[in-house]
Amino acid sequence: MMKDRLWWRHLIGLAALVFALVPILFLVSAALNPVGTLSTTSLIPTGASLSNFSKLFHDPNSPYVRWYVNTLVICGVSAVLNVLIGVSGAYAFSRLRFRGRRPGLTGILLVQMFPNFISLTALYLTFISIGDVLPAAGLNTSLGLILVYLGGAMGVNTWLLKGYLDTIPKELDEAARIDGATENQVFFRVILPLAVPMLVVVGLFSFVSFLNEILLAGVFLTDTTHKTLAVGLYGLVSGNHNTDYGEFAAGSLLAGVPVVLIYLYLQKYLVKGLTAGAVKG
Amino acid sequence: MTASPSERLARLSWPRVVFVGLVAAFAVVTIPTLVDKHSWTGVTISVAVTAILAYVYLTPKRIAARFLVPGTILLLAFQVYPIGYTISTAFTNYGDGHRLTKTQAVAQIEADSVIEQPGAQRYELSVATKASDTSGAFVFFLTDPDGKVERGDASGLAPVPDAQVTKDQFTGKVITAQGWHILTGIQVNGLGPRLASFAVPTGTGFIKSVGLSEAYVGHFTMTYDASAQTMTDTRTHTVYKESGGEFKAADGSGKTLPIGWKIGVGFKNFTSVLTDAAIRGPFLRVLIWTIAFAILSVLTTFGLGLLLAVVMDHPRMRGRRLYSSLLLLPYAMPAFISTLVWSSMYNKDFGLLNKLFGTHIDWLGSPWAARGSVLLTNLWLGFPYMFLVCAGLLQAVPQELKEVAKVDGASPLRVFRSVTMPTVLIGAMPLLIASFGYNFNNFNVIRLLTDGGPYPSGSSTAGDTDILISYTYRLAFGGQGAQYGLASAISFLIFVLVGLISYTGFRQTRQLEEVYAR
Amino acid sequence: MIWTDAQRAPVLQQFAQSFAAANGISVSVQPVATDLQSAYVTATAAGKGPDIVVGATDWIGNLVQNGAISPLPLTAAQKGSFQTTALNAVTYNGQVYGVPYATENLALITNTAEAAANPATFETMVADGQAAVKAGKASEALAMQIGQQGDPYTAQPLLGSAGGFIFGTKADGSYDPSQVGVDNAGSKAFAAQLAKYGEKGQNVFKRSIDANNAVSLFTSGKTPYLISGPWALDQIRKANLKYSISAVPGFAGMGPSQPFVGVQAFYVSAKAKNTAIAQEFTLNYLTKKDVEEALYKVDPRAPALTDAYNDVSKTDPDIAAFQAAAAHGVVLPQIPAMSAVWGPLGIAEAAIVGGADPNTSMADAATQIKAAIAKG
Repeated sequence: MMKDRLWWRHLIGLAALVFALVPILFLVSAALNPVGTLSTTSLIPTGASLSNFSKLFHDPNSPYVRWYVNTLVICGVSAVLNVLIGVSGAYAFSRLRFRGRRPGLTGILLVQMFPNFISLTALYLTFISIGDVLPAAGLNTSLGLILVYLGGAMGVNTWLLKGYLDTIPKELDEAARIDGATENQVFFRVILPLAVPMLVVVGLFSFVSFLNEILLAGVFLTDTTHKTLAVGLYGLVSGNHNTDYGEFAAGSLLAGVPVVLIYLYLQKYLVKGLTAGAVKG
Repeated sequence: MTASPSERLARLSWPRVVFVGLVAAFAVVTIPTLVDKHSWTGVTISVAVTAILAYVYLTPKRIAARFLVPGTILLLAFQVYPIGYTISTAFTNYGDGHRLTKTQAVAQIEADSVIEQPGAQRYELSVATKASDTSGAFVFFLTDPDGKVERGDASGLAPVPDAQVTKDQFTGKVITAQGWHILTGIQVNGLGPRLASFAVPTGTGFIKSVGLSEAYVGHFTMTYDASAQTMTDTRTHTVYKESGGEFKAADGSGKTLPIGWKIGVGFKNFTSVLTDAAIRGPFLRVLIWTIAFAILSVLTTFGLGLLLAVVMDHPRMRGRRLYSSLLLLPYAMPAFISTLVWSSMYNKDFGLLNKLFGTHIDWLGSPWAARGSVLLTNLWLGFPYMFLVCAGLLQAVPQELKEVAKVDGASPLRVFRSVTMPTVLIGAMPLLIASFGYNFNNFNVIRLLTDGGPYPSGSSTAGDTDILISYTYRLAFGGQGAQYGLASAISFLIFVLVGLISYTGFRQTRQLEEVYAR
Repeated sequence: MIWTDAQRAPVLQQFAQSFAAANGISVSVQPVATDLQSAYVTATAAGKGPDIVVGATDWIGNLVQNGAISPLPLTAAQKGSFQTTALNAVTYNGQVYGVPYATENLALITNTAEAAANPATFETMVADGQAAVKAGKASEALAMQIGQQGDPYTAQPLLGSAGGFIFGTKADGSYDPSQVGVDNAGSKAFAAQLAKYGEKGQNVFKRSIDANNAVSLFTSGKTPYLISGPWALDQIRKANLKYSISAVPGFAGMGPSQPFVGVQAFYVSAKAKNTAIAQEFTLNYLTKKDVEEALYKVDPRAPALTDAYNDVSKTDPDIAAFQAAAAHGVVLPQIPAMSAVWGPLGIAEAAIVGGADPNTSMADAATQIKAAIAKG
């Protein structure tokens, strides 16, 4: 075998790292700068102080820890349910034949193309009516927001998952069926375990998209104590005047931590999951 | 083969029965509330959902539906329905100044027109009821500045002898009254709308409460004539007639009253989009940039993602896990935060980029630099996702095929082009189409970074980096307040446009897929 | 229930609590992070809004046309106790819609270690600022926020000095949306100054100076002059500089500067569930001198009550200086048509500063504004 040279790979990798990390270093520098605003901060911190972080945790106007917990709960629950609903749909589209399968698949992708901020008002009014009957799922509740997020569970992710399920050899489930397994058993005992890696990928994607989501969350959660990180942080900079970028930068950095931790923890699944992805049977 | 009922029952799995049972129980609990509120739509939805679930999960036939129903119901409720609702508002004038119903608007115009009679006195007010609770009728006990007490109800004022009441020694407010229960502040407040609509008629106007313990004499300066459907200003005697969802002065002065109401306008919003020169003028330029922006965003993010995935896809490559964890970081940050950071880095005089490179590029202030900046930031935001996807797809390329090609003497580039790329493309195509659709409507990045700017000289409607959605947002919300009707019509048209483009791309992918897959 | 923006929430919470305790009720103050005004309008229309909302007086027109707020019957004595500008700012179509609590306007803030305070004209100020730059004391002659989208609010003092205006006034002093002055002679004179001091000219006005960095340029000593409002005081005081506050200077040979005077006010919702208590709170509690003074202590802006202002200005010269800077100020328009102005006028301002032709840019902005108003 020809000996591959690796240096050019590292060169490209390092260049990409610089590109990826400069804005983040800039944010780190702003977070450490005790008197900073984004625009006067340089890449290398001018003063190293954790005052912004301590402000973040002790500022009674921004119950940061509370927001953090809310975010983890909302994003975690939504991501898990999102994956479950998505994979059920993907299973049906991949394994079962029924009328309207093709149009259905196309339809769920096309629905996602509607400019979503404009349908906010409709969602808002819907949840006012829901809240009248079921206060636990109305406005200003995590449950309500989770429900809205699940509206998109049958979307792009279903496609991603369907592509993956298509690659699992059909012989496996057929064998199980011959052994007398019901459709449920095939799904839960045969397919799901094989799909775990991809479920992890989709779960991570969903988690991140909910973490970033601000449009719906901003409208749904008006109580300070119910807010998510993204909405709370947005509030720190969206007021007209007196923006405290240091605190904002510190809060933003910490907001990225869960995703990185989840990623590190799930990395072993991810590689494997994507490995098997889209293998044509 | 027919199964006896008991056999069929035995085949039902218990989790399903429990699930349907829970849904049914839930419906049973909520329906009385819905009936209470006369929400017949709610009742219908509740019954229909329960029935569908019961049918799907308790009969043996609908196997595919079992897997699809939960997601579909959520999709219909929280995506399709809002879209439908939005499209229906496209046929109305709904927006700022036209949010209320006509009845509400008339009532509000009248209420807003109440003025206090010039020079009239204020009363100290106590609200009282006959019964000990507040559900029944109530009256006002009014103490005028001279200490004289009167009792007012819907029929008018009646004097009350001092002997029947005790008064606060400082304010003169009635504290007790024979045969009446004086309400506390909280009880008064609890009367809510009943108090707000309560007025004691006097000769020239009426007495209304203000706050908890005060009342004033006022009169309307606008009165509505329900039979003629006109509003009259009693001070100037101007008559206002209904016209297009608002009241317009009949004297031809063109004056309108501030509060209008929501009416259907048919296709007016659509025709105004298509015929308005201000909208049509820059439309083509904006459309071209929108498509370019969406395509370039997809190509650059996918290109960089794929490149990095290829680079990392080598068994002896050290530090792959570290690389990929760090490369994921841009994705881990909430996007609006990163966009703000980028926007400050682009600042011409104080931004990091010009400082680092010693340049004087007007990143956001000159057309091409601004377009480049937008694409660069969007690349930064989007490439980790594509990197993850590509990394997986790459490893899915059948190793045997690669080996065979290599043995046949194909160059690495050739192997990549004819073996690797097709596999990756097929896997990624639906995502690329979705990503195109997403970027076509990527409002946030444009709004937070450039807000459409810079603007060509002499034009403030469409900037050089405006995409359709940001451009039309400015049209619909930047004029005189929010015009939801117009915004909905535009959204619908954009939806049709991007849907058509995507659908075409989609059809082609399927053909591609069929060629390669089997 | 009270809705407010995120920054004012903790302040109001305290006051609401003391009122609530005295009346045996509970009050919740909710900070709304994203677009408070439209969130309030939508929620109110759906019957889910708060009883009271706090906001600037330029919201009034829009809130009224959406039937979201109700007039407040202040007594003649109560009306008389407010400063005239504050009362005018909450008066719309002849009705008082809000209880004002603080006024705010732009002024010139000078770092006295770097340049002379209280310059007589805009020209002397620029000369002084440029001298400071030349001497190496600063890097910018002036920090006036413009940004890529322009900032008509910050431009208004100078627009007024040049004789320009946005809306003309009717006989009763209220704004008339049919008289757009953006392309009148005064406004064009202002545009010429924008070009003269713009990036292709003296490079004093810069699009790179925006709402995010203007104040920090000043607090970090990079510029001797800052045009800003009382909201920046907190940061400036923390920076330990010697500063002085005076009126924004007008152009030589033209009129004095005319900053917008904005007023923060409390409004009672037209759909309030607790109208009686909300009225009691706004009309009889907030109009007390000691309440407004206490509000000032947590949020240092000039109280709208004349008595409270007189007390405060004795101990706080900055507040008095800001007030003096608004001697020729004009009320921030409350009419809904104003929302059609911000975008086009700002874009024109930024374009001129960047080197576009002043006259065509202003004319175009005027066309846009008039078209938007005619459509609405």
